[in-house]
Amino acid sequence: MIRLQNIEKVYRTDTIETLALNSINLDVARGEFLSIMGPSGCGKSTLLNIIGLLDLPSKGAISISDQKTDHLSDKQLAQFRNKKLGFIFQSYHLINDLQVLDNVELPLLYRNTTAKERKMLATEALEKVGLANRIKHFPTQLSGGQRQRVAIARAIVGRPEIILADEPTGNLDSAMGNEIMDILISLNRNEGTTIVMVTHDENMAHKTHRLVRLFDGSQVQ
Amino acid sequence: MFKHLFKLIWNKKKQNFLLLTEMLFSFLVLFAVFSMLVYYYTNYKKPMGFDYNNAWLVTYNNTNKTQNTDSLNLYYQILQKMMKAMPEVKEVSFCSDNVPLSNYTNGGSVMNGKLTVGTNKYTVDDNYDKAFNTQLLEGRWLNKSDAVGKYPAVVINSNLKEELFGDATAVGKIITDDYKKSKMRVIGVIQGLKVKGDYAPSGNAVYFRVDTGSFHWIGSIIVKVKPMANAAFEARLYKTMANYMKDSNISIEHFTNKRTQINYMSLVPMMVMSIVGCFLIINVALGLFGVLWYNINKRRGEIGLRRAVGATGHSVSVQLIMESMILATMSLIIGTFFAVQFPLLNVFNLSASIYVMAILLSIVFIYLLVFLCSLYPGRQAAAIYPAVALHEE
Repeated sequence: MIRLQNIEKVYRTDTIETLALNSINLDVARGEFLSIMGPSGCGKSTLLNIIGLLDLPSKGAISISDQKTDHLSDKQLAQFRNKKLGFIFQSYHLINDLQVLDNVELPLLYRNTTAKERKMLATEALEKVGLANRIKHFPTQLSGGQRQRVAIARAIVGRPEIILADEPTGNLDSAMGNEIMDILISLNRNEGTTIVMVTHDENMAHKTHRLVRLFDGSQVQ
Repeated sequence: MFKHLFKLIWNKKKQNFLLLTEMLFSFLVLFAVFSMLVYYYTNYKKPMGFDYNNAWLVTYNNTNKTQNTDSLNLYYQILQKMMKAMPEVKEVSFCSDNVPLSNYTNGGSVMNGKLTVGTNKYTVDDNYDKAFNTQLLEGRWLNKSDAVGKYPAVVINSNLKEELFGDATAVGKIITDDYKKSKMRVIGVIQGLKVKGDYAPSGNAVYFRVDTGSFHWIGSIIVKVKPMANAAFEARLYKTMANYMKDSNISIEHFTNKRTQINYMSLVPMMVMSIVGCFLIINVALGLFGVLWYNINKRRGEIGLRRAVGATGHSVSVQLIMESMILATMSLIIGTFFAVQFPLLNVFNLSASIYVMAILLSIVFIYLLVFLCSLYPGRQAAAIYPAVALHEE
């Protein structure tokens, strides 16, 4: 499903060159739930951004769903992200000026869908995360756990094959974290969605199929 | 997408209020400036209605103390003949002091039945039309035969004719002087003369014929000269007149110079308003630019998110420009509501077409300004790298 070959990422400034990722080779199978762990600054988020085509590697190749991504234009990358990938972030990244339903509809705005279809799909996604009764609320009126569930609904509304979650439980207490984790596990089991999750939490990581550890930009497990 | 943006703007109405107000006031100031410019331009495009080239204005004080009207008439007829005898002179015409391109006015009103219309009143002689080469549209100009008749003969201009009689013919109609309540017979219609310069409207005008008593108070002579007339001739003319009319304080002015002077009086406020308008526009442009740039920096997380969920750099840029345009549209709707009151309530008595044109120009200008001010911040937003923006948030 996802293949990373010899990925390297170097951040350069005028004076310093930082190697964020070094020779990462990784295969993620369809329907797999993979977690990435490592200390702060080891390159976990950088790796997730590269898998999510939000950042380009300095070296190496990525293919997703048997499609090489290194020669895609900005427009093709955007379409690829829109159709194949769903993102969940630690800090939710909800637009506070939009209601829950509008936040969830966001990925569908960049597709050829009617307003009616968008509303139907977004409501469906919110039902899956148990927030169908909060569609008219604004994100600021929700708890952290509820916000993250809205973010999950937004990630799944376009029915992507892959979900990339960057510390989805990082800002939540353990009960709420478990709730979110249950939703992700259910998505993986019931819908066959491939999930790559960055986490600091050993307990959460152990609930996934496979764990990859990074240290100083290199894969150690 | 449009509905989505509208929702976003509506939900941020408090934050957008100042920007909306700024655009609204810019629109209103622009509307004022454009109304004035369109008004001046509309007037400028219209024909002058008279030929001021090679026309001189001679002003004098009547120092002839005779109380005998016939003697006085004869005195000025001789002067007229003396002047016309000069080879450089084409025409000589006595008239009241409110000559074209001067600051003097003599206003009043005339009535057609119950319809009362304000107008300027001019007392002129039979040569006035030839001195200024006015354009006759109906009937004829004043002549000796008008000295007798049941009602005094008058010539009116096309503007007054339009207001009094519409499309109907004016010649032969009887009108009434509102002040004296005396009746007058219209014998001709001439094209309106732009007596206050290129940028002013011609206004309404009634031309009365000089009568036997007029020379007691008349103090202006229009002299139409041939192109060969030079400074030496001007000196000779002055000397001839000064010798004939002792201590009459004679002065000679060229109508071309008077036109330049009177045009300044219109141009100065126009330039002042335009400069003030320009400063305001620069301020608004900088303000808009700054606010939009600030907004983009504040919304880097949102921009990063949109990129992550499928927006291209171009669509992010277009979205931000569209948001500004929607905001501009909202302020323009409010602004236009206020602006249309001017033609509806006939404020300043200007034609509705001037206001409509000013509204359209202001709308186009505001849209253009907002578009240009959004363009660069929009491009900056498109260049934001999603991973960086999401990480910063």
